[in-house]
Amino acid sequence: MEKKDLVIRIAGEGGEGVISTGDFIAAACARAGQEVYTFKTFPAEIKGGYAMYQVRTSLDPLFNQGDTFDILCAFNGEAYEVNRHRLVPGTAFVYDYPAGDFEPEIPDGVIAYPIPMSQTAKDMKSYRSKNMVALGALSALFNINEKTLIEVLIDKFKSKGPENLSFNLEAFHKGKELAAALGKKDLWRVADPVPAKDVLIISGNDAVGLGAILGGIRFYSAYPITPATEIAKFVAVHIPKVMGTLIQAEDEIASISQVLGASYAGKRAMTATSGPGLSLMGEMLGMASMSETPVLVVDVQRGGPGTGMPTKHEQSDLFLAIHGSHGDAPRIVMAVEDVGDCIHMTVEALNLAEHYQCPVILLSDGSLAFSTQTVPAPKPGAVKIVERKRWDGTGEYKRYQASPDGISPMADPGTPQGMHVATGLEHGPAGAPNHSPPNHEAMHRKRFGKLKTVVDFVAPTQVDGEGQADVGIIAWGSTIGVVREAVARLRADGIKVKGFYPKLMYPMPVAHYEAFAATCNKILVPEVNFQGQLSHFIRAETAIMPISMTICGGVPFTPIQIMNKVREIL
Amino acid sequence: MSIAAVKKTTLKPKDYKSDVSVVWCPGCGHYGILNAIYRALSEAGVDPSQLISISGIGCSSRSPYFINSYKMHTLHGRAGPVATGAQLARPDLAILVLGGDGDGFSIGGGHMPHMARKNVDMTYVLFDNGIYGLTKGQYSPTSRPEMKAYTTPYGGPEEPMNPLLYMLTYGATYVAQAFAGKPSVCAELIKGGLEHRGFSYINIYSQCPSFNKIDTIEFYRDLVEAVPKDHDVTDLGAAINLARQSSEGRAPMGLLYKADRPTLDQRMHAMVEGVNGRPDYDLNQIIDLNRP
Repeated sequence: MEKKDLVIRIAGEGGEGVISTGDFIAAACARAGQEVYTFKTFPAEIKGGYAMYQVRTSLDPLFNQGDTFDILCAFNGEAYEVNRHRLVPGTAFVYDYPAGDFEPEIPDGVIAYPIPMSQTAKDMKSYRSKNMVALGALSALFNINEKTLIEVLIDKFKSKGPENLSFNLEAFHKGKELAAALGKKDLWRVADPVPAKDVLIISGNDAVGLGAILGGIRFYSAYPITPATEIAKFVAVHIPKVMGTLIQAEDEIASISQVLGASYAGKRAMTATSGPGLSLMGEMLGMASMSETPVLVVDVQRGGPGTGMPTKHEQSDLFLAIHGSHGDAPRIVMAVEDVGDCIHMTVEALNLAEHYQCPVILLSDGSLAFSTQTVPAPKPGAVKIVERKRWDGTGEYKRYQASPDGISPMADPGTPQGMHVATGLEHGPAGAPNHSPPNHEAMHRKRFGKLKTVVDFVAPTQVDGEGQADVGIIAWGSTIGVVREAVARLRADGIKVKGFYPKLMYPMPVAHYEAFAATCNKILVPEVNFQGQLSHFIRAETAIMPISMTICGGVPFTPIQIMNKVREIL
Repeated sequence: MSIAAVKKTTLKPKDYKSDVSVVWCPGCGHYGILNAIYRALSEAGVDPSQLISISGIGCSSRSPYFINSYKMHTLHGRAGPVATGAQLARPDLAILVLGGDGDGFSIGGGHMPHMARKNVDMTYVLFDNGIYGLTKGQYSPTSRPEMKAYTTPYGGPEEPMNPLLYMLTYGATYVAQAFAGKPSVCAELIKGGLEHRGFSYINIYSQCPSFNKIDTIEFYRDLVEAVPKDHDVTDLGAAINLARQSSEGRAPMGLLYKADRPTLDQRMHAMVEGVNGRPDYDLNQIIDLNRP
């Protein structure tokens, strides 16, 4: 039987066209109506080093990068060496041979397709077209829609002149012919095209940038940091179009400070960073809590601590995001599951910051940063924008005046009679310093109390499954996508399992956790960090005693890992 | 801020006083500087609703509380970048930054070069008393080595920095210095800073009778020396030569340097115009760029 949910991994040296080949396949599949989920790793070096791009495609919704690849396309010997242990029976292996730099051993059951990529490119007198030969071969072998693929290539190369385009197409067709001559010997085949859906194909970082623009930001300040910088790149291109400003600050302390200043001045403002930057921002986040100033920080998590593993995936900033400031410093923490969330939860996080006048931290992670996925195209008219509460100009204005919901109106600078101070000192209702015990307690109650309704403002959690289950899995961030698939596959095997997916990490929706746990015999919490950070919060804030499952090797979970663990603890 | 565009008023200096009482020690130089600020605001005619006064932490950083305006009392060392964000968000308003030598040049020192070179349109008044007063007297980046203080019982092991040289080197477009004992000079220079479009830096010596026992009012009075009448304020080299005197036992008082250079917000505005930015830009055009 043909297999139509397939994972193609392309691997080689950085600069050989690994990434563009993957992008072409992903775009062609999306144009042919397929769902696409890509995953890539690249070297920490600027030139050279091992690069990998993996495309998973199917007609069915995709939630993760898959267990492993079904097809390996190796451009060089290193790509083969790194991946050879995963060449299991049934895998298709396309590789540069003969005249490549390696001579692989083909394990039993692996279907080999030697394609002379380098030789063909050399004969055409252009080493740069090697990846086009590979692309042609992959297209022919695995039914990657040729029509949409050629459209993608035309769009890509048309700006580089007709000669460049025809050269690349020639290499593509040569690859196709070389593969056709070998004959089809495996079961992997992309489904035939269906009408294309109204989708974007976009990376997690670009999606945060798009969400920021749709969410109405007019000020963005950031400092370069892996793996978050692409967000600034996206915003830099588009924010002047909506009359906004992006500034590259001298460090992350300056970037969050500038965001706070711009927000006080009345503009929707945000920054994005990774763990080290969020660490530096801690003090100013406390200032935002104290002065009740809306700010959004997106943290694209990476391997830590210290400099850690900048290009690798980890979910290890939950402690920092929730408690990373001195004093009792309330904030809202959300975490995205996938690229779609990166768009609409960035909008939502901006709304939360404006409504609750506090810092909001939105957690993404390294696996989503560069993962491109097909997502429904957003409709600008359907985007809900919540503005901060503003003073109506009547009566005497007191910036921190108590109110039933704890939210006090703000006055934009320039408003007559609205003059007030935003201060990091403890203060009374009018903003004047006040260090009296009853005042400090009352102000804490105000600042924390206003967050009680956050759980109703957003969809805080999702439950996957009904009734009673033997195992309930609680997952956050990009691990959710892996668990969704594991739950579906376990259920298909007759195992009673449910999933619980918090998007609001803090304030913790305790009642939701406990209601879910009441329907499960055991609770499993898989997460990509060493300490089991979500498990820690669950033990601290709920009556649940979870089984923590952690990995921290710089890569995401696979569905099989979760499924095996569930079977083990049943 | 070039306050030319800001809404004007005809308030008296006292109208810029807030109802928060001033908390400095008797004899503190900061009183003179604060009064000079009231006078400068009055003479420049800045409407209080069109002004944001921003500070970090320290004795002088309390100043915004005492000024009738929008104001931010932020974190130690961070007034500059907070003000940068506010200025870029609202280039139509006047931005006044007030703080001390420790706040600006020690903990906040990493921000100073960037405000200067980016020419952020604001007026930065630095109350330079060569001491940390709020923490009861530790040596600061502008303390003289002979000063014995809280953490330097045998005298300081470091050379002081030269704020004027620093600002001139990093590209500030309005650089001046005064002494709190000369409030009319202070007021004139602050007003000039408010009227200058670009990053204005005014260093004002201010005696701290409580903790800095060597930089007394008399010491500063003897130290300062009016900028020569024939000094050309557009000559950077001449300004640098004057600034270097501060390391030689004399200190220039007056305007050292003034240059016209596009401000950061003007350059940002040019970018908006370059892409035909509009508040009602069709966001579908951005969305469509991300289709497969």
